[in-house]
Amino acid sequence: MISIKRARTMGVLLVAGLLAAAAPGLAGSPSLADRVIEHKLSNGMTVLMVERHQAPIVSVNMTFGVGGVNEQVGQTGLAHLYEHMAFKGTRTVGTRDYEREQAVLADLAMVGTELDRREHEEAARAQLEGKPVVASPEVQQLQRRFKELQEKASEYVVGNEMALLYQRHGGVGLNASTGKDITRYVISLPANRLPLWAALESDRMAHPVLREFYKERGVVMEERRLRTDDSPNGLLYETFTSTAFQAHQYGVPTIGWGSDILSLTPAATEAFFKTYYGPNNATVAIVGDINPKEVIALIEQTFGKIPAAPPIPPLVTEEPPQRGERRVEVEWDAEPALAIGYHKPTIGHPDDFVFDVIDEVLTEGVTSRLYGALVREKRLAASVLSDTNYPGVRAPNLFVIAATPLAPHSVAEVEAAIYEELDRLKTEPISAKEFERVLNGLDADLVRSLRSNSGLASQLAFYHTVAGSWRYVLNARDRIAAVTPADVQRVASRYLVKPNRTVGVLVKKAPDKKVAAASEVTR
Amino acid sequence: MMRMMHGMERGMVRRRRVERQSLLLLVFLCLLQAAVGVAADLAPNDPRTMRFPTVEFNPPEADRVVLDNGMVVYLLEDHELPLVTINATLRTGSWLDPAEKVGLAGMTGAVMRTGGSASMSPDEVDEELEQLAATVSIGFGKESGSASLDVLKKDLKRGLQIYADLLRRPAFEQSRVELAKLQAKEGIRRRQDSPGSIVGREFAKLLYGSTHPSARETSVRSIDAITREDLVAFHQQTVHPNGIILGVTGDFEKADMLAMLRDAFGDWAKGTVPAVTIPAVAEADFKTGMVRFVNKDTSQTHLRVGHLTIKETDPDYVAVAIANDILGGSSFRSRLFNDVRTKRGLAYSVGSGLRASVYDEGVWLMRAETKLSSTQEVVNRFVANMERMRNEPVTDTELEEAKEAYVNSFVFSFTSASSIVGRLMDLEYDGLPNDWLQQIRDKVVKLTKEDIQRAAKAHFNLERLRILAVGSGDALSKVLAGFGEVKEIALVPES
Repeated sequence: MISIKRARTMGVLLVAGLLAAAAPGLAGSPSLADRVIEHKLSNGMTVLMVERHQAPIVSVNMTFGVGGVNEQVGQTGLAHLYEHMAFKGTRTVGTRDYEREQAVLADLAMVGTELDRREHEEAARAQLEGKPVVASPEVQQLQRRFKELQEKASEYVVGNEMALLYQRHGGVGLNASTGKDITRYVISLPANRLPLWAALESDRMAHPVLREFYKERGVVMEERRLRTDDSPNGLLYETFTSTAFQAHQYGVPTIGWGSDILSLTPAATEAFFKTYYGPNNATVAIVGDINPKEVIALIEQTFGKIPAAPPIPPLVTEEPPQRGERRVEVEWDAEPALAIGYHKPTIGHPDDFVFDVIDEVLTEGVTSRLYGALVREKRLAASVLSDTNYPGVRAPNLFVIAATPLAPHSVAEVEAAIYEELDRLKTEPISAKEFERVLNGLDADLVRSLRSNSGLASQLAFYHTVAGSWRYVLNARDRIAAVTPADVQRVASRYLVKPNRTVGVLVKKAPDKKVAAASEVTR
Repeated sequence: MMRMMHGMERGMVRRRRVERQSLLLLVFLCLLQAAVGVAADLAPNDPRTMRFPTVEFNPPEADRVVLDNGMVVYLLEDHELPLVTINATLRTGSWLDPAEKVGLAGMTGAVMRTGGSASMSPDEVDEELEQLAATVSIGFGKESGSASLDVLKKDLKRGLQIYADLLRRPAFEQSRVELAKLQAKEGIRRRQDSPGSIVGREFAKLLYGSTHPSARETSVRSIDAITREDLVAFHQQTVHPNGIILGVTGDFEKADMLAMLRDAFGDWAKGTVPAVTIPAVAEADFKTGMVRFVNKDTSQTHLRVGHLTIKETDPDYVAVAIANDILGGSSFRSRLFNDVRTKRGLAYSVGSGLRASVYDEGVWLMRAETKLSSTQEVVNRFVANMERMRNEPVTDTELEEAKEAYVNSFVFSFTSASSIVGRLMDLEYDGLPNDWLQQIRDKVVKLTKEDIQRAAKAHFNLERLRILAVGSGDALSKVLAGFGEVKEIALVPES
């Protein structure tokens, strides 16, 4: 029912196995190591290419090394808001007259920022005094001025023109996503349309325009309500994650806290773009019916003209060691659910490969230990899943086990049964048969992920961004294959212990008969 | 994250059908491409004026073979990767469920997979498949069932044996039947947890009526009533070789594969296969509008607004599909996305969807989630945009954009052997002619603005509109009062 493994983070293990194992499967064709062509522009942008000529199509994955971890206090949600704003166009695309529009947008940003500030002050004062919020004459005047400017600005807008161009040219799968570590922009196109992609994307890397800013802030608030506030699992994971990480930015929801989203400014968004969206922070993977020489020439002519940005600021905050179990509850009108997380090192650390094995042995498939014990034998749980790199991979992260109890059994019974299986990992070596199943599954998954241009592009760009090189995947399978039963016992005994864990529980609560407060103003 | 609007209501639409539907829309515009694909160099660096020639592509063609027992087999070799995939479409489905045992078909499919076979215990099946890293999936939907095998080439023979055994001789072991029933009841307990689940299921019931096969739901009582013997009988009565269309793709030689399939299925005797018949909804039951809400403690109002519509075989289908595409079916390009999301900032997910099948009435709907204070405005925008589709022709640009988008993305309908074969299977299953796509394309090429307006007038009906809102009940009844008499749908606790 919850699918954190494949949905919330990149399936790191899955990915790794796929590429390394694929090589022997590609009869008569060179191994993946030989098929990936890497090109670095002088401005620091990396291009990864794989030719696949089965159909005249191409998939592109543009990945920036920026995400929720790069945000400051009070500006959470900024990385994600920028991702939305990146679809608003440039100085040429999405506008009828940029020169005139620019002046209006500058005024709008100034008035909007001042209005936010004044409204916030008045709301805070009213709350202190226990009075309803009544806009002062000054605020009312700002509101009128804001509305005029917004209407004026809208006259210059050609709505969603960038997306429209992609769609007219047969683009499919146009999308973008923001995570803790990375932000990605993806599209698949008929292969001969790559020049369109290069023109649009280099333009938005160089000259994005933050039009329709305040409207999009409202859209993002609705997205937060949809994904988090109205989703029992969304709420559980937001609370669980912020409990597990008290210092590191992994504890902050990527979509942002609601009050932060409503305070984000055009100026902060612009500054964020300038800091993190330089070509030196970008990797693009292109897989499909391409001629790499032509692609390199195209990218040099377009992206090659964009100057490098200064190096991005380092991340300094580290999560202090956890000293004692943390437990947290979320009450909602929904059936119970459980999430358990243990702090662990991230990819590249030797113990992380051991967690890949533990992850598979515990929950991959219906013969896995936790599924077998909790779902099939004891019938305590309706579902059980795990994720070995939650919620990101650029910093030490969590090994998470998630389960839903099967009525009439309680969360406590499920939790106890999980700990029983974790203790077994510490005391009994895993069997040769279990280990063989893990490796067979890895190898087959790797072959299967080569079925998809977009999947391969995604994995190459992902590892290049978070692990320093796409070649990371070539070694991962061998590192996993070298894990021993003793490693599993050692790692389980070291990390899967009570003082290192955070437990989140969704608790059923009868609904209140209440009318939702309508405090947010629509801009 | 910029989730794309699929324009389809989850839970009301089989995946299979959704895929084909988009295909139908994708196919038709090839002929127009000649006019669009002009030479490329007018303004080479401005993305707004770029032009490209149409991509030329002749996708490989599949073979069709009928075994002596009536099993239809499509084969298409694809030697890129050492994998073989077999997909079966089975002429069964939950439309056959008895009223007191709703859930029977679904459970039959589930336990065919988990309950072992005549020659292997459930655990032996699971262990061997997972050791081989092979996948067998079996699931029965409303109008058909599906069963698939995905296996490495080196394990094909063994994989096929297990797969054929589960299809032909499932054991339905008692303990796995019990487990499936427990799981089904847990699913029932949890289906009111999220507003998204509630709104989809209640809207289907609001349109079709709660006993219609396209909307009816399992209950604790209907699951309790199902026995192992029921599953055995349902399998025996509905799964026959002459009701199966098999699609085989991947790394094999056709002659070898046919020999293996004859080994696995050749001695399976024919049976009586029922034609899918789903009762029509009486016109009196869907020609009136309704306004309903469900009270749930949420931060947004989850909205569905629409009515029943035509079948896929209706002469107006293509024009309605394009009208829907322009109204709200095409994400960024559509009017609803531009109006409600981009210009007004009132919703993240907004659009319209058209779901039509060859078997029963389809559904046309508009949908969004928005905060309580903008609920009324969003419903007003739905109605206004719908009325605009009826009262004035779409612009030349909109029609051209819709056609170009379909023409140029057409190549994505043929990206893999399995997508090519899957489409052929669907068409045959639904009894549609081989040149169905050709026929659709011919119609689309001739579509005019007037055709679209005529279709919108005939098939987007204000007086039939049914509005469902899930959210803060007390306030919702006031907010929706302007759209008709508002009544509450009271949810009965499921546990």
